[in-house]
Amino acid sequence: MVNLDEAGVLPRAANFVIEDGRVHLRASRCPSCGAALYPPREICPADGTDSLEDILLANGGTVYTFTVARQSTPEFRTPYVLVYVDFPENVRVLLPYDGSEPPAIGAKVEIVMADGPRLENDELVSMPHAK
Amino acid sequence: MEDVYVLGIGMTPFGKHPDKSPADLGAQAVSLALSDAGVGRRDIGAAWVGHVFQGMAMGQRALYAAGISGIPIDNVENACSSGSTAIWDAALALRAGAYDIVLALGVEHMTTAFRGALAPDPSDIEAQLGLTMPGIYAMRAQRYMAQYGVEPKEIAQIAVKNKRNAAMNPLSHFKKPVTLEEVMQGRLIADPLRMHECAPISDGAAAVVMVTKAKLKQLGGTRAIKLAASALRSGRTEVGLVDMTVEDLTWRTAEAAYEQAGVGPGEINFAEVHDCFSIAEALRVEGMGLVPHGEYVARVGKGEMDLNGILPVNGSGGLLGKGHPLGATGVAQVVELVKQLRGDAGERQIENAKIGVAHCRGGKAQGVEGTACTVNILVA
Repeated sequence: MVNLDEAGVLPRAANFVIEDGRVHLRASRCPSCGAALYPPREICPADGTDSLEDILLANGGTVYTFTVARQSTPEFRTPYVLVYVDFPENVRVLLPYDGSEPPAIGAKVEIVMADGPRLENDELVSMPHAK
Repeated sequence: MEDVYVLGIGMTPFGKHPDKSPADLGAQAVSLALSDAGVGRRDIGAAWVGHVFQGMAMGQRALYAAGISGIPIDNVENACSSGSTAIWDAALALRAGAYDIVLALGVEHMTTAFRGALAPDPSDIEAQLGLTMPGIYAMRAQRYMAQYGVEPKEIAQIAVKNKRNAAMNPLSHFKKPVTLEEVMQGRLIADPLRMHECAPISDGAAAVVMVTKAKLKQLGGTRAIKLAASALRSGRTEVGLVDMTVEDLTWRTAEAAYEQAGVGPGEINFAEVHDCFSIAEALRVEGMGLVPHGEYVARVGKGEMDLNGILPVNGSGGLLGKGHPLGATGVAQVVELVKQLRGDAGERQIENAKIGVAHCRGGKAQGVEGTACTVNILVA
């Protein structure tokens, strides 16, 4: 298992692992209320439980909504596609989308590593994307 | 509990003010509000000052420039609801009997505060992944269109309406109406939202002098307007897969305000709502229970939210037309309600304005459904 986040490859914007070549986002589950939480947390924001379980989200999910960001902050190279992905673990996560045309609402996507849209020292950063 | 009144209002023009510091703008709004209230600088017992990007002690800097110092000054940051939260704080202090004349000020000099699109705080994971404020509202617009069968050009009519109203407001950032064609030919910022559908980067300040009923009796005068309700709520933790076209935070805040004021949504005559983006106006008005979910855009198309419609919305021009200096926005909304309820709104006066609502909801933080929301209800 390679944890690029802990290896310092990415800044804070990464909570994921790569297992057998597949990208999984790291999350927490509250044993008390059942809430799935991304990014991982120490304390459940829904009920205050402080002994959360580490979980890995599935390698893909369903597109809840999307946009093409054509204007952004200086740390991003525009345009780029953003999606909210609904995971089977009952949690919704914002991700950049690997492609210039946005997917339809309801499309099935998998999670992959791809370059951008974030820039570090003028270079696109490799980060998890929906595809 | 003591009833609370807005006695005086003051507002700078909204727009680009490269020649003025935020303190200058704040001081100008305060001087106008004091003079409108007919009270002196030394009458102010305490002040709350809303701002977002203005750094340390903006309140002290602005009030010093206005000739006020030494009193309790509380700087308030609550995202785009900072100014309206200052009003909430001031109302609470008056109701508690701690003071009888107070000041709420909102100020923001956006043109020097940042560049690019407004985004959540950089420490927020969604900001690190590329989320911007236009991006989140665009994604909510995509859901709205899919769920309710609405086209982008129907949503764009909200911008046409608000910029038409702004053209009648001498303090507006934008003074020129736009046609639907012009909006639809505008540059895409985040699909489907185009340039005219996003609030501009504005500088400006707005202030209100607020008093208790007892103090008002002592001072006399007939221009005070009752602040019948001031409610503040924060967004709840979002768990699971919620409907992003429904604003639970807006509803809970409005519900608290209706209860405080003893009025129902059906009694509201007119509204100023937080239209940071065209789609936001629909989400807010529906969220407050003023129009059923999914119907707002069609009603705008029928002219129901025009100045002479059954429920005028953003008669001031709203954030889209009047401008959006973040900290000042919530105070400026209340300034507009006071003008309308006094019958002082000139060309954009709403006939028979009796009960007005101001809704201000700001910010985005990962994990919660909205950050801060205020609803103020004023009654003539």
